[in-house]
Amino acid sequence: MNRAGLVAARLLQIVPTFLAIGAVVFVLARLLPGDPVSAMLGDRATDEAVTRLRGAMGLDEPVWAQFLLFVGGIARGEFGTSTAMRVPVTALVLERLPATLMLTALATLLAVTIAVPLAFVAATQAGRWPDLLIRAVFQVGLSSPIFYVGLVLLTVFAAGLRWFPVGGYGTGLAEHLHHLLLPAVTLALSFSAVIMRNLRASILGVLTAEFVDFARSKGLPRRVVLLRHVLRNALLSTVTLVGLHVGALLGGAVITESVFAVPGVGRLMVDSIFARDYPVIQALTLVLAVIVSLAFLATDLVQMWLDPRLAR
Amino acid sequence: MRRTVLKAGIAVLVTAAACALPAGADAATRGGRMTYARYADSLFLDPVLNDANVDIWVLTNLYDTLLAPTRDGLGVQPGLATAWQTSADGKAVTLTLRSGVKFADGSPLLASDVVWSLDRARDPKAGAWSGSLASIDRIDAAGDAVTLTLKNPDPTIIPALATFNAAILPQKLFEAAPGATAEDKAKAFAEHPIGTGPFVMASWQRGVSMTLRRNPYYWKQAEDGKALPYLDELVFQVIPDDATRLLKLKAGEIDGTEFVPYTRVKELQADPALRMELWPSTRVAYLTMYCGPTFKDGKPNPLANAKVRQALNYAVNKDAVIGITTLGLGKPMRSYLPSTTPLFHAQDLYKYDPAKARALLSEAGFPNGFETSILSLSGNADEANNLAIVQQMWGQVGVKLRIEQVDNATRTARYRAEDFAMRTSAWTNDISDPSQFTSYAAYYPNIHSLHSQWRDERVDALFTQSQQEIDLAMRTAQYKEIQDRYAAAAPIVFLYETPYPVAFRKQAQGFVQIPLGNNLFEAAYVDK
Repeated sequence: MNRAGLVAARLLQIVPTFLAIGAVVFVLARLLPGDPVSAMLGDRATDEAVTRLRGAMGLDEPVWAQFLLFVGGIARGEFGTSTAMRVPVTALVLERLPATLMLTALATLLAVTIAVPLAFVAATQAGRWPDLLIRAVFQVGLSSPIFYVGLVLLTVFAAGLRWFPVGGYGTGLAEHLHHLLLPAVTLALSFSAVIMRNLRASILGVLTAEFVDFARSKGLPRRVVLLRHVLRNALLSTVTLVGLHVGALLGGAVITESVFAVPGVGRLMVDSIFARDYPVIQALTLVLAVIVSLAFLATDLVQMWLDPRLAR
Repeated sequence: MRRTVLKAGIAVLVTAAACALPAGADAATRGGRMTYARYADSLFLDPVLNDANVDIWVLTNLYDTLLAPTRDGLGVQPGLATAWQTSADGKAVTLTLRSGVKFADGSPLLASDVVWSLDRARDPKAGAWSGSLASIDRIDAAGDAVTLTLKNPDPTIIPALATFNAAILPQKLFEAAPGATAEDKAKAFAEHPIGTGPFVMASWQRGVSMTLRRNPYYWKQAEDGKALPYLDELVFQVIPDDATRLLKLKAGEIDGTEFVPYTRVKELQADPALRMELWPSTRVAYLTMYCGPTFKDGKPNPLANAKVRQALNYAVNKDAVIGITTLGLGKPMRSYLPSTTPLFHAQDLYKYDPAKARALLSEAGFPNGFETSILSLSGNADEANNLAIVQQMWGQVGVKLRIEQVDNATRTARYRAEDFAMRTSAWTNDISDPSQFTSYAAYYPNIHSLHSQWRDERVDALFTQSQQEIDLAMRTAQYKEIQDRYAAAAPIVFLYETPYPVAFRKQAQGFVQIPLGNNLFEAAYVDK
């Protein structure tokens, strides 16, 4: 399949995925014990107040009727109103999405920037001290819990050295980046460890391939062999890994966003689940599903660029 | 009766004057901005339709009520009304409106706004709180006098007029808000609320921050005769993580923060740059026991026996729980009512006595104890601590406790379905009156006494009488008997009360949190 065809097919595939996920989330949200009213009114409500509010929210309608309303809404591009915050869900999600996207993108960029050169060094120096050192340091990154790393970074670089603000998001792009750098580093640390280990193993594998011997025997300079032939081929599996990891990174953002007080969708999702805010849970899941689908698509495109055989 | 009311009024006025301003207020700095960190954002700033403390506790900064709770939470003081008088038969309340009050947009407060706001608040179809004003039959305005005609004498109506849901809104602006239904209008209005409170909303980025600006028309004056509030701007920043809030405070990025974890209080007290404040609260923590004869699955319930419930109370060393969970900041509950509630009657409740607990269990037919379970909030460190200690102590008298950790909505759903043996619980009053919590905790017809199925018909009768009893001495006696009977029957395991722990930078002063939880920033300021 050519590139354009693949993009079109993938975009079409998103539609049924979208619907299936929508239905599953709709049902799952309602299978959770409790409902928005029990989450909102807490312990202070009488049965009368609960019934009244359930009625006002349309929760006393049959589930299929609620589902039809939900699907009808999506068709019109409406996700309804947040039951907890009483504001339109679309506006809420659009307000929160940029922070998470920026955080995830920054973290991915940092992770790749850190991991790729180091994996290259580790693989080409396999078994020697640079390799051992790099692997040992990344082992620590991989095994540290995100919230703990986050707090340590905040304590040292924000509260201590004052290089960064202690959490928040700021206004304007420059401030956003300044605020997001520490949380992105937090996320990138464990992610870069994963990329580094994967890429190092992959490079070691490619180094033993016959085409590498051939390239060397042709008399190509070592730099050209390593960059053009080894790294390019080794990166194939890493690109897949990075693409697949976007979902996990969005999940990790939930914790990071709480520790760093970043107003992203991760935190919104957790708050909404606790509040049984069905419309927000549904909308966020769908939006995240689309983002992950698009990340997969991007992965395929990068792979095609790296290995043109895939595009044929 | 009238004399009592007037006397009470004078006493309240004196108290109000005494605590109108913090000590050393002559040094208060005018202008500037204070940034205060909150663990969660507000959800819906409509006084009538909101549901949560994240709204209730900040509403006072935007809206005023006719009367206001006193700083000690025990009485009321003038608000938008300067005086109030209850008729001899207790069936009418006449309030005198403060003259010259304006809303934050400069439009005058009218008696019609008061009538409209209270009519909206008492509409049984609107909001979970309308019950507090249910005794009102009719509201009339004549000049600057507003008269509430009651269906029956109601001792709770005065504190109810000082409670958040009785806030006065500008009728015209509310009705001009976009939206087809009253609820849509409420949503739109609550995005940019206008009240007579010390501040007015300047901007609100949900989940991030809320900026309130000084209301130039605010009616209240400082001691020097100049207008309050001191601050030009009050910013609420939302920072969910406890540790991050404190880091921000220590780095000087914020001026103050709510909900300091008990484990950090000593550390902040020792920091010369900070001031740790522990405000008396109405917060009590206890364990609710299901008291019905059988559980949902038909199995017999040992907790139906009062002796078993008393035994479980005797088997808990409250001082140990307070020492470990609150690091000594709490104090044992002395009634089901928080000690900052009017008509609170202090009792010595179940001093730690494992031998007595064992004897009571034997008498109840459980010489070898039994197994039971408790629903607790997952991720809540205080509850986990409490239960770890209680589990161990009950183990010593043969009672095996299984802890089920669930999220709040799940716990509430099972609570409402009365499908639990025990659950962790906490309470704060919203009104300066014992009736609110009593109607939930002790009076069966409302919610089956915290959905415990515990019922004492004498308590129900006393409560019903007390709701129309305008003789203070009589009502005090009724509440004493309710509290005594409740303590003896022990439908809950009494644990502790805790203060509200908030911390400020030394320069940031004048904040007040009253026992009901309301955050008052009208006299707050930041020294340069």
